[in-house]
Amino acid sequence: MPTHKRTTTKPPAMSLQPRPWGFVGCFTAMASPCELLMQVDNKHIARQMLTLAYDEAQRIEQKFSRFIEGNIVWHMNHAQGKGLLIDPETVQLLQFAQQCYALSDKAFDISAGSLMVLWRFDGHHQMPHQSDIDAALRHMGFNRISLTNNILTMPAGMSVDFGGIGKEYAVDRTAQLLAQRWPQHSVLVNFGGDIACPITHKDGWQVGIENPHKLDNAAALLTIRQGALATSGNTRRYIDVAGKRYGHIINPQTGYPVEQAPLSVTVLAPNCVMAGMLATMSMLQGAQAETFLQQQGVDFTVFRG
Amino acid sequence: MQLTTTQTIASALAMASCSLIGQQACAVETQSTQDDWKVDAAIMYYGEQERVQAAEVIGNVQKAFGDSSLLDMKIVVDSLTGASASGAVAQAQSQTFTRPSGKGEYTVKAGDTPLDDTFHDTRVQLSANWQEVLNQDWTTNIGVYGSKEFDYLSMGLNAGLERSFNKNNTTLALSAAFTNDVVDPVGGRPVAMSQMVFRDNYATDAEYQAAFDQTRLSGDDTKQTSDIMFGVTQILNRNWLMQANYGLSSVSGYMTDPYKILSEVDINGQTQAYRYENRPDSRLKHSVFVMTKGALDSAVVDFSYRYSTDDWDIQSHTLETHYRYNFSASLYGQLHLRYYQQQAAEFYRPFLLSDEVVPEYASADYRIGDMTAYTVGLKFGQRLSNGHEMSYRLEYYQQNPDNNGTQLPGQLQNFDLFPSVKAIVAQVSYSF
Repeated sequence: MPTHKRTTTKPPAMSLQPRPWGFVGCFTAMASPCELLMQVDNKHIARQMLTLAYDEAQRIEQKFSRFIEGNIVWHMNHAQGKGLLIDPETVQLLQFAQQCYALSDKAFDISAGSLMVLWRFDGHHQMPHQSDIDAALRHMGFNRISLTNNILTMPAGMSVDFGGIGKEYAVDRTAQLLAQRWPQHSVLVNFGGDIACPITHKDGWQVGIENPHKLDNAAALLTIRQGALATSGNTRRYIDVAGKRYGHIINPQTGYPVEQAPLSVTVLAPNCVMAGMLATMSMLQGAQAETFLQQQGVDFTVFRG
Repeated sequence: MQLTTTQTIASALAMASCSLIGQQACAVETQSTQDDWKVDAAIMYYGEQERVQAAEVIGNVQKAFGDSSLLDMKIVVDSLTGASASGAVAQAQSQTFTRPSGKGEYTVKAGDTPLDDTFHDTRVQLSANWQEVLNQDWTTNIGVYGSKEFDYLSMGLNAGLERSFNKNNTTLALSAAFTNDVVDPVGGRPVAMSQMVFRDNYATDAEYQAAFDQTRLSGDDTKQTSDIMFGVTQILNRNWLMQANYGLSSVSGYMTDPYKILSEVDINGQTQAYRYENRPDSRLKHSVFVMTKGALDSAVVDFSYRYSTDDWDIQSHTLETHYRYNFSASLYGQLHLRYYQQQAAEFYRPFLLSDEVVPEYASADYRIGDMTAYTVGLKFGQRLSNGHEMSYRLEYYQQNPDNNGTQLPGQLQNFDLFPSVKAIVAQVSYSF
């Protein structure tokens, strides 16, 4: 169990409701609605589970969000080329990111932070300037990060962003903590559509997959007994410029959004980090997203415009 | 990304994500991918100082069929060479022994513990086990076993039943096994307590052969073993569990070691003759085992104790512990300590006295004498980037036989009749 302090500035905005099959708990973290479905008949245990999930989600958000000043990511992005001693958890996330960078042939790159900030999907119908994109591309490349003996050295001007892994990681960590502590209760952890269920549910949990054309209406229902699911998509985040829609999956080699990328990809896998990474990698394949996923031998759902 | 190389991405990601989110998560995941084959291969070396050397190849294959059925198949091939203690005592002069086959002799130097160097064999063991989860509460398993070496054939059947209670926090297990062994020693089974004959004492080969044949029984013999075991496993809290077993083992048939002898000495400790040992043909053994196992922050530890007693009067106590520390998600180290203490069988005799009546049962095999033994071991396991696992084990094992209170006449006081046996075990395993 990780030890950590609860943030006292924000009171836990959690809600816990009974259901015929157990309890459902809700809170907001990582800018997403988070939900816990718990097959438990004891309200006290359900409350403990929800608190644990809330704490873990908060902890990971505080530690790895690039929007929070003074956390490890902020220190990494402000080290100005100097070596920085980092903790084992961050080392593991970086090593995972490094493996994804290699497996995706440099298409998945957490060091593309300075490129990502150029593409703001906030409703402004405006493209970044080419000169800014070129400047950002010069400050990227995970292969230029060195990590030896827990000392991280990043070129000055580079900035990393764990946004592509953080939420899925939080889901898996939370699911794992719950499963370790209550191995006899099935819980479905759902942080903004990224889902894990490590303990088998006898009848299976019903999970809806969003149709990007009709947001907030489930287009497909899936039954999950055990495993994880993650979605990558530009369903809610895109910009329209001169009739052309640019999605939020940016190709770090060109600096531009991937063309012919699906609207959304949902992948089923043993854990959420793996599902999320396969979904992201398939988006980066653009028109060949489905082919890629078929070759991986995983279950998936792809929506295209 | 090139599409031709993508097939391996999912499996590489599975591994990478497992090491990221920890081993617990991986253990859970394997349940969902149980349709896959799991293969373990290992080579092991066991070497006693100046005595037995063994090399062993182990192959283990597991195949799951859905969530409820598991087939486990194992093959072990080992090859033994080297010498083992014959049971005779050291002497101030060199000693000559007839080989167990009756063909040829070997000589042991003055002052040395007599070791029989004819000891070499290859053994093949095969086993298969089928496990079936019947429902949430009941699990069964059934298995077969066979092993063959030059002078020995063993065939067995086993079956077990497990019942879970209390939301899987308590498991009761009952299992039974039956084994039938056929022993067909090189040169035949010696006649119990008969004297070893020597070529030099006979004028012709034919006369010698006739005398040798007098010390041998024709044909093979068998041994039947029935085991029954009852066990309870209780999860104590989220980090600790406890297990307790009671076992009853009943053996009947030929349990004598056909290659072991006893020296018959006079009051000066001078050897007058060698006799072939003899052991009772039934043995009833009880054993009790308790273990507790706990998960610490980045370590797993277990402690166990076993007590065993039988109607040969052998009693033993075993204390054992393993401490496994996870240095990272892909590297662990394990320390193994074991202490063993045994009280001799009532018919154990380090030697016979020539002025005594020859007893019905006697053996000088140090393995059923008073003894303490300990093991110190280290193991390292490493998960490779392709998801396979490599592990290395190195152990030191020392047996310290003791005198069971026998007075040592004359020259026997000059020799170490209970020498320690020191051994090294080295193993390399690969799992994929």
